Amino acid sequence: MAHRFAGIDIGSRTIELVVVNQSGQAIHTLKADTGFDPMAEAKQMIGAVVYEGIMATGYGRNLFEIAFEAPTVTEIKAHARGARAFFPEALNVLDIGGQDSKAIALSDNGKVKKFEMNDRCAAGTGKFLEIMARTLGYAIEQFGNEALLAEQETTISSMCTVFAESEVTSLIAKGQDRREIALGVHASVMRRVAAMLQRVAPEGDIVFTGGVANNACLRALLAQKLGRRILYAPQAQFAGALGAALLALEAA
Amino acid sequence: MSEDYRLMWKNLGLNLEAHDMLLGVLGNAYKDIYLSQKERPEGMAYFDFVMSEVHGLRIKELLDEKAAGRKIVGAYCVFVPEEIVLAANATLVGLCSGADFAIEEVEKLLPRNTCALIKSAFGFKLGKVCPYLESADMIVGENTCDGKKKAYETLGQLVSNLYVMDLPQVKTQNGRALLKAEYFQFKAAVEKLTGKAITADSLKAAIQTVNAKRKAIHRLSALRQADPAPISGLDALLANQVFFYDNPARFTASVNKICDELEKRVEEKKGAFPARTPRLLISGCPQAVPNWKLPFIIETSGAVIVGEESCVGERGTRNLTAETGNTVETMMEAIVDRYFQVDCAIFTPNPDRLAHIEQMAAQYKADGVIHYGLQFCQPYLMEAIPVEKALEKKNIPCLRIETDYSMEDAGQLKTRIEAFIEQIKG
Amino acid sequence: MLTIPPLMDDGFAGEPAKRVLQYMQAHKAKGDPIVGIYCGYAPIELIQAMGLVPAVLCAFSKVPIPAAETVLPANLCPLIKSSFGFIIEGTCPFYAMSQAVIAETTCDGKKKMFELIADIKPTHVMDLPQVPDQREALPNWKQMILRLQEFLEKTFDRKADENKIEASLQAANRRNALMQKIFDYAALRPSALHWSEMYDVGFLALPATGAEMAPRLEALLERLEKRVRDGLHFGRPDAPRVLVTGCPVGGDATKIFKVIEAAGGAVVAPDACTGMKAFAGTFQENSGDPIGAMAERYLKIPCACMTPNERRLTDLSIMIDRFKPDAVIDVVLQACHAYNIESHKVGRHVQEAHGLPFLKVEIDYSEGDIGQLRTRVEALFESI
Ligand code: SF4
Ligand code: SF4
Repeated sequence: MAHRFAGIDIGSRTIELVVVNQSGQAIHTLKADTGFDPMAEAKQMIGAVVYEGIMATGYGRNLFEIAFEAPTVTEIKAHARGARAFFPEALNVLDIGGQDSKAIALSDNGKVKKFEMNDRCAAGTGKFLEIMARTLGYAIEQFGNEALLAEQETTISSMCTVFAESEVTSLIAKGQDRREIALGVHASVMRRVAAMLQRVAPEGDIVFTGGVANNACLRALLAQKLGRRILYAPQAQFAGALGAALLALEAA
Repeated sequence: MSEDYRLMWKNLGLNLEAHDMLLGVLGNAYKDIYLSQKERPEGMAYFDFVMSEVHGLRIKELLDEKAAGRKIVGAYCVFVPEEIVLAANATLVGLCSGADFAIEEVEKLLPRNTCALIKSAFGFKLGKVCPYLESADMIVGENTCDGKKKAYETLGQLVSNLYVMDLPQVKTQNGRALLKAEYFQFKAAVEKLTGKAITADSLKAAIQTVNAKRKAIHRLSALRQADPAPISGLDALLANQVFFYDNPARFTASVNKICDELEKRVEEKKGAFPARTPRLLISGCPQAVPNWKLPFIIETSGAVIVGEESCVGERGTRNLTAETGNTVETMMEAIVDRYFQVDCAIFTPNPDRLAHIEQMAAQYKADGVIHYGLQFCQPYLMEAIPVEKALEKKNIPCLRIETDYSMEDAGQLKTRIEAFIEQIKG
Repeated sequence: MLTIPPLMDDGFAGEPAKRVLQYMQAHKAKGDPIVGIYCGYAPIELIQAMGLVPAVLCAFSKVPIPAAETVLPANLCPLIKSSFGFIIEGTCPFYAMSQAVIAETTCDGKKKMFELIADIKPTHVMDLPQVPDQREALPNWKQMILRLQEFLEKTFDRKADENKIEASLQAANRRNALMQKIFDYAALRPSALHWSEMYDVGFLALPATGAEMAPRLEALLERLEKRVRDGLHFGRPDAPRVLVTGCPVGGDATKIFKVIEAAGGAVVAPDACTGMKAFAGTFQENSGDPIGAMAERYLKIPCACMTPNERRLTDLSIMIDRFKPDAVIDVVLQACHAYNIESHKVGRHVQEAHGLPFLKVEIDYSEGDIGQLRTRVEALFESI
């Protein structure tokens, strides 16, 4: 009988793999860069663990479905499930990943009630933060903390990555404080996702999932702007993979 | 493809090289999207044929009609009354606006942030690849949205035979009077073009012809209420698209023939997809040939489309023109009445559309509604706000999509649509 | 400009909105009802003739835009987003004061936005014709003004009086003529009137009645005359003169004027509804049909929402002859289809009929593009 289920989240930047036992406890978590050949990477990862059933999510899920004949689920449902695993009462989920951000509203029973995703531009996504961090010369892991040290914010008004990049470059050239610009960049992402959250999930605590949830500055700005609690699990980045694993378990 | 056609295209002034490319792309898309479908009704073979000859045989027919003294009128919008065109001994055809073409050329004349449909219309002209446009004796523009209204000013510099029709924006007595005045003016213009005065007999016959076409589509739509849906949304959309190109009588007969087949399917509970496949309604901007992007993504993601609240769909075809009049005057009034009901988002306010969407959702037993907005289309994107609100109030899930004709966002759209289907399934 | 004392030295120089707010508050204190308007097509002479005070509603600040974007599509003109944001955030004092709002079916974005706010305050939408030269346009528009009159009569429980309307038109003619005289000082070479002064005057002259304005304008004309006698003018005498046409420009959008100045140019002719357009044309007097006369004048406004709008080109030519610009800049607010598409025609006309350099800029209310705008404006000046 099956008693270990895996979930794999193949994102644009990273792949996460989580294996849960029969009671839904995570027994393995793995993470790797997506690289140029996501399926080769995925193959290696699933080779390293043991499981009886697997479900794929993330933007590479369809490739995985073909290569490994596995069922799939969208990131939206997977993150919703994962968020519930972290916080069983969660009704609102914000997931910011590499190239997408999503606001999800859940019913009391955890089903997706409504969701919205960013449109095709990168503003308001992890990629945007990454590009801005690079332009400002910060490591992405440090970006949020550095921004938090700023005393005031330099407003970044361009929403589009391309324009924002040149705006930031010209601010640096003007001698603006880098941390203040960094704070401005965070605020611009915050405004984007806050608008989305207000449309989709206008009240109550918000569970923040995905890699960008680790960014303390963004969490703080969001909490301040919305006047709502931003809940976050240290394992937030694995929410999608965990959700997929749990859905695999529940489907068995 | 016969050499005759090449000569014909050349004589029409098409850019053969570009046109070959277009047909190549179109053919492949049709194969991938349409011919790959399973469980298609046999009657769809007719539409496969029509599509394979859409720039060939159909154009030849039109040219033959012209040689025999008929005129061809091309239009971009469902507000151009086909009854009037037919009654004056002319044929109405829809003009191509469903694919990107010659984008760079277009963007020299139009802003980049113009909707894909308008850009496409320009692209087909500038790229010289639309045989319908080139065979038309009169091209009718209409003042609907800001984009079109202003773009026609520029189009007028590219073609010599543009006729612009004004449209009301508010449904009041004044609005109706304006539409009536415009339709009478249009009638005079078409009569002048063909040299044939519209008579009570010719107008009556035209009304009957167009109504028959609409009734056939109504029949097809009604059959889609069944679960399993006997025909895919893609195929039904195609029928709605061909509505604008085909010979009316032949179209009516062919759709009715398909309906006969579909009736049997419904009896046998045979569907294009299995029973209980999630059923979706599409509502919003028109989907002109060959814009099959959204329905293709939807129907390859595990749902079936059961209705289109769109100009290429029920908004365009739903009302009949009253056939009771006996004089030109009364029949013209009936035509005005009929078209004045079209609930396009350019009208303000536009509560009828909201009501129609709710009605369709119930009638076709839709599990959810996808609001389809072309990027930069302000009327529909703005109206999506109250539409979503009203549907939510009725507990009908609604997903707002904003996109264009490029395939860049196909992956993202697929994720959203799959998630929406998951949401519906609960 | 710093050394020249401001034309209107009432403590509000450069802050036209504050001045107007004071004006409104004074009227409000007297018990005059306030009516909000959005657009140059609102027949203010009728409103004034009925003892009501028209207030132009806020639409030029970037501040409320994020709030608006939680509801509206992103690809919408900033003017519409700003208006809507002011309303849902409750931050427009003029809207708060207004007992009714008058709207027009100008562009798609506005007309659909009005639907979203129609239930907040009594909102009367005027169906504006789009083809002004068509036979039905004038009678239809006249009817719309009559409809508005009925709406105002009902909402404010008062009757319009034909004689008062006629008087209001005549006063407006007088005011407009004086405004034109003021603009003549901008036409001087070098210009003796700054764009911000035109704004100072214009923002008040629009809602105030002709009778209230006339003496004030006469006084300003005397000051301007003195300025010329003293040899005062703005900018370097050889500064490139710019005519700015296109979408309304106010508040945060005036960054374009500032950029033009920073690049060494002088804004000598701000066209647009926020500039000189509002005071163009005359009402036919003593026609026996003042509403008809009003309809006629308003329908001649060459807004891009009209089609084919050849009048914009004719009027531009007249303006070019009068203000003798060295370049024309067409300001398009982002996502304004009407002005954006029309810009192609305007550019051709300016270049071909007048041989002037032309630049179209698509702007929003943010500051992000100022550097880029400056580069483009400088490049334009280099081509002169
Ligand atoms: S899709 Fe919208 S913007 Fe485009 S032509 Fe139609 S109504 Fe106009
Ligand atoms: S600038 Fe354009 S889109 Fe904006 S309100 Fe004016 S006409 Fe409408």
